[in-house]
Amino acid sequence: MRVPLAWLREYVDVQLTPEQLAERLTLLGMEVKGIEQWGADWRSVVVGELLTVEKHPYADRLHLTTVNIGSGEPLHIVCGAHNIAPGQRVPVALPGAVLPGDRHIERTEKMGIASEGMLCSGDELRITADAEGILILPAEMPLGRQLSDLYGDAVLDVDVKPNRGDALCLIGLAREVAAATGAALRWPEIAVEEAGGPIAERLRVEVREPELCTRFVGRWVSGARIGPSPDWVQMRLQTAGMRPINNVVDASNYVMLELGKPTHTFDGAAVNDGKIIVRRAFQGERLETLDHVDRELTEDTLIIADPRGPIGIAGVMGGADSEIGDRTTEIAIESAIFDPVSIRRTGHRYALRSEASLRFEKGQEFRLARIGADRVAQLTLAWAGGSVARGRVDTAPAEPNSSQLAFRPRRVSKLLGTDVTAAEQRALLRRVGIETEEAGTAPRIQVAVDPRPLAVPAGEDLVIVATVPTWRRDLAIEADLAEEIARVRGYESTPAHLPATLMPAYRPSPLKVRDMIRETLAGAGLTEVVTHALVSSLDEARLLWPEDTSEPAIPGDLAAQSGDEIVVTNPLSAQHSVLRRHLAASLLDVLSLNERQGRGDVAVFEIGKGYARVGDGPREWTRLAFLMTGAAEPASWNRVARPYDLDDARGIAELLCQRLGLPTPSYVPDARGFPFHPGRALVARAEAGSEALSGRMAEMHPDVLARWDLRAQRVIIAELASPVLDSAVPARVRVEPIPRFPEVERDLAVIVAEGHTAAEVEATIRRHGGALLRGLRLFDLYRGAPLAATEKSLAYRLVLGARDRTLTEAEVDAAVAGVRSGLESEIGAHLRT
Amino acid sequence: MDFESLSADLRALQQRALDEAAAAPDPESLELLQIRYLSKKGEITTVLRGIGALPAEDRPRVGAIANAVSEAVKAALAAREAELHAEVQTFRLAGERVDVTLPGRPRSRGTLHPIPETMAAIAEVFGRFGFVVYEGPEVEDDLTNFQMLNMPPDHPARDLWDTLYVDIPGRLLRTHTSPGQMRVMQSTKPPIRALLPGRCFRYEAVDASHGFEFFQVEGLMVDEGTSLADLKGLLDEFAHALFGPRKTRFRPGYYPFTEPSVAFDVECVVCDGVGCPACSRSGWMTILGAGMVHPVVLQYGGIDPERYQGFAFGMGVERIANLRHAVPDLRYYLENDLRFLEQFR
Ligand SMILES: [Zn+2]
Repeated sequence: MRVPLAWLREYVDVQLTPEQLAERLTLLGMEVKGIEQWGADWRSVVVGELLTVEKHPYADRLHLTTVNIGSGEPLHIVCGAHNIAPGQRVPVALPGAVLPGDRHIERTEKMGIASEGMLCSGDELRITADAEGILILPAEMPLGRQLSDLYGDAVLDVDVKPNRGDALCLIGLAREVAAATGAALRWPEIAVEEAGGPIAERLRVEVREPELCTRFVGRWVSGARIGPSPDWVQMRLQTAGMRPINNVVDASNYVMLELGKPTHTFDGAAVNDGKIIVRRAFQGERLETLDHVDRELTEDTLIIADPRGPIGIAGVMGGADSEIGDRTTEIAIESAIFDPVSIRRTGHRYALRSEASLRFEKGQEFRLARIGADRVAQLTLAWAGGSVARGRVDTAPAEPNSSQLAFRPRRVSKLLGTDVTAAEQRALLRRVGIETEEAGTAPRIQVAVDPRPLAVPAGEDLVIVATVPTWRRDLAIEADLAEEIARVRGYESTPAHLPATLMPAYRPSPLKVRDMIRETLAGAGLTEVVTHALVSSLDEARLLWPEDTSEPAIPGDLAAQSGDEIVVTNPLSAQHSVLRRHLAASLLDVLSLNERQGRGDVAVFEIGKGYARVGDGPREWTRLAFLMTGAAEPASWNRVARPYDLDDARGIAELLCQRLGLPTPSYVPDARGFPFHPGRALVARAEAGSEALSGRMAEMHPDVLARWDLRAQRVIIAELASPVLDSAVPARVRVEPIPRFPEVERDLAVIVAEGHTAAEVEATIRRHGGALLRGLRLFDLYRGAPLAATEKSLAYRLVLGARDRTLTEAEVDAAVAGVRSGLESEIGAHLRT
Repeated sequence: MDFESLSADLRALQQRALDEAAAAPDPESLELLQIRYLSKKGEITTVLRGIGALPAEDRPRVGAIANAVSEAVKAALAAREAELHAEVQTFRLAGERVDVTLPGRPRSRGTLHPIPETMAAIAEVFGRFGFVVYEGPEVEDDLTNFQMLNMPPDHPARDLWDTLYVDIPGRLLRTHTSPGQMRVMQSTKPPIRALLPGRCFRYEAVDASHGFEFFQVEGLMVDEGTSLADLKGLLDEFAHALFGPRKTRFRPGYYPFTEPSVAFDVECVVCDGVGCPACSRSGWMTILGAGMVHPVVLQYGGIDPERYQGFAFGMGVERIANLRHAVPDLRYYLENDLRFLEQFR
């Protein structure tokens, strides 16, 4: 809310600078987001007096004027306005002046005659809404003075929180200033001179929805003349951020800013039969609202109607037909209290939220309906003339008294963590208008209202009863009063100390395991990325990363990590409209972005969630994905570059398994083709007890790269799942005793047909090596002469040993012979030694 | 042949051998000298053949001299060998000199993203004070995200959290990590000290300081005497740990789920409190919101608000990271331009 200090001073004295006031209000909970210097954009605009006004010799519409600005020779200024006359004081923009909108004024020539500056309209200065005439200043304005000295003001931008609807107005903020500084609050004098006939002859009101409209107060003004408001009123509205319209509408807006009471004014002639009905709209009813949109009303919309039909949407916007216009003379004033929820829903339903509806949504003080009606009638009379009908229409004239709220000063101290005496607490409350007294009979203390009311007996504690002012609808429980006490006292005076209460039980952190994995992957040369969880549905479809339930299946409960896409029903854009199930497409997007910056070597990983809908519920799981393309190690003077390939992906999976205490993963080829290279894709899997890691790794199919418009020729992507990513507890290392007897190494070159995989060969060796085979490592892969074109040679180093003895030569030979014959008989291998 | 002439021969032989050893040009020459003087058919042995002609009492004396000569020659040969070895090694090493000012062989390490890194830094500080980490779902229900946090349907404060909804009835993308408070309270009993990091979503157009996806860390502490003063003390520690010894400010804020509510500021990291555009000339930067848990929230969490009280706080991870690393634009985080990420070496 914009708060012009000049206007605020009408209700409370302010001795502080704007900056000091801003800080005080902020520390009181009324955060000042900024201070605007109103008038700072009028530079070199001074007060001048018109000496002469003559017709321009060559142009009928222009005038030649001479203007005294208090010093030097009078200025010759050409002016197009018709409301000027000698003797008037007017704002003069001198050559070199700058006006709002960064408009520069220079010496010019108009129809052959030089003009040494410009006379300004209210609109050009953004002081009033009048763009036709020159702004005529009061005669006492000193000649030659900068206009910004006279009309400039500081405007505070106060962020009023949603629970303090009572402070969304100048009076409300003046109350806060009074609480902060101890100054007295001055209410405006509200008195209505009622010279007209009884209102009953003019206006009748029927509220058919008393739940939704708890009070309707009506006033009537006859014989008003519609025109612009006085300049000072327009100026106030402008500084507060509201455009002046006409004297009647301005009166209504002025009261909303002053008292926080939204009201509405109807052209009385458009209220048929002088009867207002507050009801729900009928199915199919229509209304053209003030913004000239023809709206179809729904049955749950509360409207203001006359016997013929709707004339306004209650609390949100009036109808165009009953708008105050130039020929309006009869004015019906509506000052009502509406149900906040109903107003809020209506505002959302029509995407129409006005300054008025925002205030209704936050709830209104009941008596403001009466006060607001009176104030609008008073100002209308003052600014538009006419006569006010005698009395008001009021559907609920009984105004409730202030409510009582009991609290325990000891309990307040306990909440704040510091001892504040009961006397001090009561003094602090008094500063925000809350009177207190010691409780007579021990009342119950309201600790909570929802989800079930909780009121407890006070016991031995001293109980104070606070009288809550009617405007403070936010104070309902003991803790609310504690906050009032704390904020008026100043949060700064709360001591700071570290908690000395009991510690919770230990719980392992899921962040720790992820941090370990992140460090490991960074150490392996991958850079971490964090991408959007909301992606384009198109991207997901373009990639078709396989469902985890398809063949070859991913083991265990990880298979459940799939399901239907979860779709956002109100997305910001199609680019971010579904929750991703896989991370792979996001990594392709990262590659694409970096390729556009000229980066060809990209190795990135992400630990993030996948989301899917399973049955009626959402499911989320944590995944690890990485993408690698370009050089694994960039070329250097002492190193040649090596491109990333699928071996790097498997190597990283193996490294991760080591870090997580899992065995080396096993690999199964995946020949599905798209989105994978049909010969370079696999499912990896490692399991140890309840721990597991599994997922897919592949070089991406060239068609995928084409769909992402990538230059890269080979892109490796892996996406892995592991319960450990969520469970926080990695497998523990179990130590095997260091062998006491020497182990023997034997090398074996296994020549097999291409069709046999390394995994098969290794499994065969392990099966036949028996208990003596303690280690196995592939150290060479060879193709070419003298092997046949359909053959390959896999060279393994076998480590043989026993826990309890040194193996004899004969034992070693027998073990190797067993492996050899197994390889020969089972996969038709032959061996070179 | 007498003792005198024999011993004179031995001394002469020693002198010659020592001279030749000292002049030997390479290990092979030393090998030959070894054979010539010290082998079984060597010159010392040859001289000793004349010992039989000596009287018996002189023979041990000559033997002793011969031994001494033999030792002296051996030592001379060894010394020369060591000398030659040193010369060869020096020469070889001299030829192996490299330009030690060349850059090293690169060890490539990736970098870690500032969002999880900042979360880890936050968790580290609060971990010291016994806060344990929980994680809640990101696809939340309206009940937990709003209603149990004291925002019934149509509550005006819901405007503070523009929401993205999904096609599962009653579900939405959580707008803050605060619903995690509810899940912690419902699953455990006081004393509670919990930290809830995670991703959040809002219906918000993207610009330099807003995004529709962002990260928060929520904290919750509940016990019998947990007070606003505890909150203040803890937040001061936190601010000092992350931003160094700066002034902090505790002022009233507003959240429907805390009462009293707090906004927590630190002295501007750009201007050190003098006032600059980054802090709207106030000298302060707000780093988090907090407050004493509202009794309504405690009740929904199954905790008796008459017996227990507690505080909660929530902070934007990007905000903290921005201030720590002077990141100029929020969009940097989820864009993943390597020119940004690789600065976090
Ligand atoms: Zn600053």
